[in-house]
Amino acid sequence: MSHSSSTYRSSTSLRRRTALIAGAALAAIAMLSACASPAASGAGGAASETGDPVTGGTLTYLEYQPTTCLYAPGTGFYPNGGLLNQITDKLTYQNPETLEIEPWIADSWTVNDTATEYTFVIRDGVTFSDGTPLDAAAVAANFDAYGLGSEELKLPISEAINNYAGSTVVDEHTVTFSFTQPSPGFLQGTSVIQSGLVSPATLALPYEEQCQLKNIVGSGAFTVSSQVVDKEVDLVARDDYDWAPANSEHQGRAYLDEVKIIVTPEDSVRIGSLLSGQADYVRYVQAFDEASVEGAGFDLYAPQTRGVNNGLFLRPSNSILQDVDVRKALQAGTDTQEIVDTIFTKNYPRATSVLSSTALGYVDLSDQLTYDPDKANELLDAAGWKAGADGTREKDGAQLSLNVFVAGAQPLSKQTLELVAQQWTKIGVQLNVKPADSGTIAADIKDAEKTALNHSMVGRADQDVIKSQFHTENRDVILSNDAELDALLDALASEPDTDARNAKVADAQKYIIDQGYAIPFFEEPQVYGAANYVHGIGFEAVGRPSFYDVWLDKK
Amino acid sequence: MTRYLTGRIGQAVLVLWAAFTVTFVLLQALPGDSIMIKFENPELGLSPAQILEVRARYGIDEPAVLQYIHTLMGFLAGDFGYSIETGTPVLQRLAEGLPETAKLAAGGFLLAVVLAVTIAFVSSYTRFAWIRGVLLAVPSLFISIPTFWLGILLIQVFSFQLRLVPVIGGTEAQSLILPVLTLAVPISAPLAQVLCRSLDAVYTQPFVAVAQAKGASRQWILWRHVARNALVPTLTVAGLTFGELIAGSVITETVFGRNGIGRLTEQAVTAQDIPVMQAIVVLAAFVFVSVNLIVDLLYPVLDPRLAAKGRVAV
Repeated sequence: MSHSSSTYRSSTSLRRRTALIAGAALAAIAMLSACASPAASGAGGAASETGDPVTGGTLTYLEYQPTTCLYAPGTGFYPNGGLLNQITDKLTYQNPETLEIEPWIADSWTVNDTATEYTFVIRDGVTFSDGTPLDAAAVAANFDAYGLGSEELKLPISEAINNYAGSTVVDEHTVTFSFTQPSPGFLQGTSVIQSGLVSPATLALPYEEQCQLKNIVGSGAFTVSSQVVDKEVDLVARDDYDWAPANSEHQGRAYLDEVKIIVTPEDSVRIGSLLSGQADYVRYVQAFDEASVEGAGFDLYAPQTRGVNNGLFLRPSNSILQDVDVRKALQAGTDTQEIVDTIFTKNYPRATSVLSSTALGYVDLSDQLTYDPDKANELLDAAGWKAGADGTREKDGAQLSLNVFVAGAQPLSKQTLELVAQQWTKIGVQLNVKPADSGTIAADIKDAEKTALNHSMVGRADQDVIKSQFHTENRDVILSNDAELDALLDALASEPDTDARNAKVADAQKYIIDQGYAIPFFEEPQVYGAANYVHGIGFEAVGRPSFYDVWLDKK
Repeated sequence: MTRYLTGRIGQAVLVLWAAFTVTFVLLQALPGDSIMIKFENPELGLSPAQILEVRARYGIDEPAVLQYIHTLMGFLAGDFGYSIETGTPVLQRLAEGLPETAKLAAGGFLLAVVLAVTIAFVSSYTRFAWIRGVLLAVPSLFISIPTFWLGILLIQVFSFQLRLVPVIGGTEAQSLILPVLTLAVPISAPLAQVLCRSLDAVYTQPFVAVAQAKGASRQWILWRHVARNALVPTLTVAGLTFGELIAGSVITETVFGRNGIGRLTEQAVTAQDIPVMQAIVVLAAFVFVSVNLIVDLLYPVLDPRLAAKGRVAV
């Protein structure tokens, strides 16, 4: 868990030392090769004019982590999503600019007034890479698996699909889905990576088998040509691919011939490979590496994740945090601007609500999220927490001391939490930032006494995302004991009218901030770096890459 | 000899069983378990009720004694179970990783021996005290360099700055150069140090003076008389460095993004993937036991006095 922080320290100090050693060596080399132009500066000068897309070439893409289980509903994990997005298509396409749902494998659809019945007309002529047709029956089989799960095959139910009842195949091109309750989030749910369509042959396999890349057969623009588990996946373009979303930059096969996805966990190796021309495109440029990537003339891409902001979530069932005034005090005592300014970059905008400003249904609550340590102190005084001997407040012999785990999945979680701990000492609160192995975290994170706060975020470009994070039947990050919150979330998840639904999302955001359940830090991006001969870089709605439009202008 | 061998093999089996059992107990004692870690991952978005269902399906909550018996029987039958994190058979994962690590470890070990022998022999043969002084300082320097740092340093200098060896997309041989060097440096240090010491010790022996008195050349004395006698303690240390090879490969493979047993270990520990960890520990114990057995059998070859006793001293 402390991996990212130790990497940070050693790689920065390393850079200095390396610079000294390499500097001397380079001086000699520079004289010998004054006429040869290094790849890094060559890459820096090419972007001025973009010509027509070129077909062909191999893209080398470096990924931070290896993939885990690739069963579609569990592929929110970025390495999984980044791979599956290339080999599976989705029923609908969420335009990443407008967030509108547009046709893809479905040519058109109708929804009844109560959002309990959806009928999709499936595009003609789409096939999976194993040759089987992607028709209404295949679509029905996919959503039956994702919506209902399977006891026999050990398939869990997808988070993206709520209240699913079943499917009816009307004819070869028409399928109807029905729901036990209104499910307005379903249409967007058909566009996400977790609903990637796979061949019926894949769906017939048990969970463990569906986890493995070799068994995943999609209809996407790329297919897997070879794989070395945990190290490399090679993709090749499918020549007969002809069913890109209507609003895609181009139609037909992908421009690239081949994509090599290589797992490179070490930050300095990943960034160094990009800068030295050994790789074309990398995922996960840490905030502290952004300047060196841009400084060397490379392009940074920072698509937003459009969901619940990265932040701290406060658990009302904890004996200290059960008092709403204490939660409100912690909210007022956290200087999020300082977090963004000292640890992150402009690609991490300061949060102004529970949801990102690029999320659907967002309302600006920045008035209620101002840094006010005086107010925090007043609230804590009034709640009976008096200053103790060592500066930490006390009440009835207990210290105002709270535990939080470093969240390995969050960027620079340890540094962020340590800064918060430092800020909270000013209001007499002790925050214990605990780095821990995943086993300890899994065992203790469901215990509000041991883990008073949770550091997390969740990305999905649908109003349902706030329910995913807070509802007792979903991620339930605050271990909620608040029936009113559940009712608010249920209401927004089953409201068919978009305006009314957005109003309910606004209510939920206000309620969560009012109750002090969340201290939002920043709107989390996914940061990528690429050489500027890489064109057509695109992302789906929450920042996972799509290689379909990518082409290389490598001289 | 046969009796000695059967005894040693019996010992080895006992050590393996003990390693298996201790690992099993320790892994059971860890907080949490792999099913919990995998399925409570928020990315999956499973509700607490669904997680309980999954736990029941995997039989993770059955009594530890039953699990121990199942796992032990499986190991005896060569079935190491499935990786919980990826769903692949553990045997397959080991089979994929082992050749990669074997190449790395063999290369690293050979280079370490070459480095150690060079340092020791040059320092002992040279007539210049300052060369000797510098060379004798090298092992201390080598042992204090963190593998992690060395790996990144080598990549930065030789790959990113000098562009001599690619770390991404090179050939098999190219991809081995820097990791082998990274692994060899810390392992060469104890070998060089022990070899230097024993060379010095052997030089003070009376038989060396006799050989000198008879007019043998320095070279002859070093190779014929001193080196051979100095090798026995070095061999013991060489056997022990296998442990460091395993530990070193965890870091080296992670830094260089190689998919060997070391990387597998790192991932299994992170995800608390119990079947994988169990198998890795048994594998490591097996390698250790085998290497030590080989080392023991080599002693009499180097030192006839040991063979003459009829029984090998350990």
